[in-house]
Amino acid sequence: MPSFSTDERELLQDSLETFFSEQYGFERWHERARGNALGFGADMWRSYAELGWLGVALPETAGGAGGGLTELAIVMAASGRHIALEPLLATIVLGAGAIELAGNQQQRESLLPQVAAGETLLAFCHGEPDAGYARHHVQSIARASGDGYVVDSVKSFALGAHAADMLIVSARLESENGPVALFLVPRDAAGLALTAAPALDGRMGAAVAMTSVHLPAAARLGDESDKSDVIDRLLDRGAIAVCAEACGAMAAATVATVEYLKMRQQFGQPLSTFQVLQHRLVDMTLASEEARAIVHAALEALDSDAADAQRAVWLAKVQTARSARFVGTQSIQLHGGMGMTDELAIGHFYKRLSLCETLFGDSDWYLSQLGMAHGGVAAD
Amino acid sequence: MFIRSVQRRDDLDAFRQEVRDFCRTEMPPEVRRKQGRGEHLERDEYDAWMKCLGSKGWLTGKWPKEHGGLGWEPERFLVFEEELGRASAPPIITFGTALAGPVIYSFGTSEQRLAYLGDIARNRTWWCQGYSEPGAGSDLASLKTRAVRDGDHYIVNGQKIWTSYAHWADMMFALVRTNPDVKKQEGISFLLIDMKTPGITVRPIIGITLDHHLNEVFLENVRVPVANLIGEENKGWTYAKFVLANERIHGISVTKFEAYLAKIRRLLQVTRENGRPLAETATFQRRMAELEVSFATVKALMADQLAAARTSGAPPMMGAAALKLRGTELQQAILQTGVDILGRHGLAYQSDALHTGWNGDLIGPQESPGLIYEHLYRRAASVYSGSSEVQRNILAKGVLGL
Repeated sequence: MPSFSTDERELLQDSLETFFSEQYGFERWHERARGNALGFGADMWRSYAELGWLGVALPETAGGAGGGLTELAIVMAASGRHIALEPLLATIVLGAGAIELAGNQQQRESLLPQVAAGETLLAFCHGEPDAGYARHHVQSIARASGDGYVVDSVKSFALGAHAADMLIVSARLESENGPVALFLVPRDAAGLALTAAPALDGRMGAAVAMTSVHLPAAARLGDESDKSDVIDRLLDRGAIAVCAEACGAMAAATVATVEYLKMRQQFGQPLSTFQVLQHRLVDMTLASEEARAIVHAALEALDSDAADAQRAVWLAKVQTARSARFVGTQSIQLHGGMGMTDELAIGHFYKRLSLCETLFGDSDWYLSQLGMAHGGVAAD
Repeated sequence: MFIRSVQRRDDLDAFRQEVRDFCRTEMPPEVRRKQGRGEHLERDEYDAWMKCLGSKGWLTGKWPKEHGGLGWEPERFLVFEEELGRASAPPIITFGTALAGPVIYSFGTSEQRLAYLGDIARNRTWWCQGYSEPGAGSDLASLKTRAVRDGDHYIVNGQKIWTSYAHWADMMFALVRTNPDVKKQEGISFLLIDMKTPGITVRPIIGITLDHHLNEVFLENVRVPVANLIGEENKGWTYAKFVLANERIHGISVTKFEAYLAKIRRLLQVTRENGRPLAETATFQRRMAELEVSFATVKALMADQLAAARTSGAPPMMGAAALKLRGTELQQAILQTGVDILGRHGLAYQSDALHTGWNGDLIGPQESPGLIYEHLYRRAASVYSGSSEVQRNILAKGVLGL
């Protein structure tokens, strides 16, 4: 898979850091999150496009920069570090990923440049109420009708679905045992109902219900063959993307907590002088670094198409979830009451980390999958 | 001692039945519905329910009879709490009944007892606690809110923070500095302040729950009659520690844990993975078993500490610190399990759904907003009324003598 040179990666990180430090201060977070129905900054999205980040992992023919998942992860880490609200995960990781992996040439050529240019928002609506984290429990059905399909579907809450111009929805063809297909569904399709709501971390999303939605055959991504493998790969991409985002959030939360304890005086001295708290800060730093290391390892495996790439992602997701839980809860704990306020960033880091832990499967789920691979026993 | 004898009680069945019947007949259906979903109650709803309990004397059942209580022993109080929990009754807001009241009858004058105790017992006054300050958290004794004597008044200036329900309160019991020139614990006094006094400003703090129940309270030249001083001037720290021990014991409510667990069991039934209820998965069977072990241990620790207090008169701070620490950890673990289940529904947090009159479309199980709210709010359980780090310090000093 193509990727950037080390120098190019550093340039990318620098440009992200410069932009976010200058343009994305936390003092405007509440206004961006709650000041409009999108729940993010449309102006920020345009800037992301101009700076080339929306197409960082798209081919140059699509107006992209030709990077790989590592470059995508660098963008996601910056998003975590600055608790960015824009639908990067939904649009450039999952949405563009689905089109890239499952779409035909015509679909790729028409849609991916729109993503890179910031003109189209996407969302991947795959999870269903009875699926839990299981990846292939799809009960939505698409029946052939005329020269297209009629789709009935209920999808769980998905980040970014509230604002997406185009939803990518999974459904089985014809029957409950049919092959899984992916459909491009315009947000104004008749019979499509979105229930918008904020997620725990304040980003917006929506639950989706489709009742007899008519779609042309051209709305199907790629051919009629089963797309379960594509979905598997997409969910792995999503998992590693939120791991990268968590790494950014953990690093920032840890630094903020160290700074706070250096500043906060109790018992006539800075809290940072208490050994029990010093050890806690060290453990937070270690947890954060452990996650970064194993996420890096998984990215290497993914970008080199290694045979055990999926396993590497799953290991990384478990460790990142563990680290995120520790760093998130301790960030609040060590900030005391201040950590409990909506006003400070630290609580928002905690919430973002909670989302990153759970999206695409939490540590329990991946552990049981990894365990099954060892024992060959069908557990959950 | 390896075994402490725990008193067995089987004479409380009639009382248990009485509380159960009372909850069934007296609790408004709307309150029951809100409680089931973890929705916020209005002040009036709390007030009506507490007045209802007050009319039976149950709000202050634990108080000694000479102060208007019913003289309940701990076992009877536990039965009362259990039945309230089983009935999903609203939590009793305890600033008056468990904190202000006991301080007033233990250390107050007969005039103060007469002025306040009856109103607390009937919930005619709402109280809040003026302890923490921006610069005085774990190091509470470093508080700076100043009270200067001026004739038969104190002039109070300063700021309190994290004051739960200050916006609903009629009275505040507060720690103030009356002598800045001595060891910090020795210059603190305990004052009762009428919240309607000129110079008091209450400013809301929005929590990570996105809800308002915490406040900052600013005091600017607030005139408080000297008659509102509890006990002796500069002895306030002694009374404050008494309140803290009470607060820590009250924070641990077995019935609350049972109510959480009941919600989680239902969530495990209605949430599916790969089409099967989560309750049938090895992962959650094990996690629920782990919680059950921790819960049984906390209950046993509680019974053991009660027995210890009865037989040896062990200092209550020790038991309170141990229970607060372990109870908090269990509470957070139970709620985290709930949120781990809700992760399977995408973790929407519709905090608006917790307010009276919301009529939007709920995403996911009906418990979802209430449980997420509680999970977020209880992140503070290891911070408020003495952080877990402070509890460990208390145990290191008090139990291990370090």
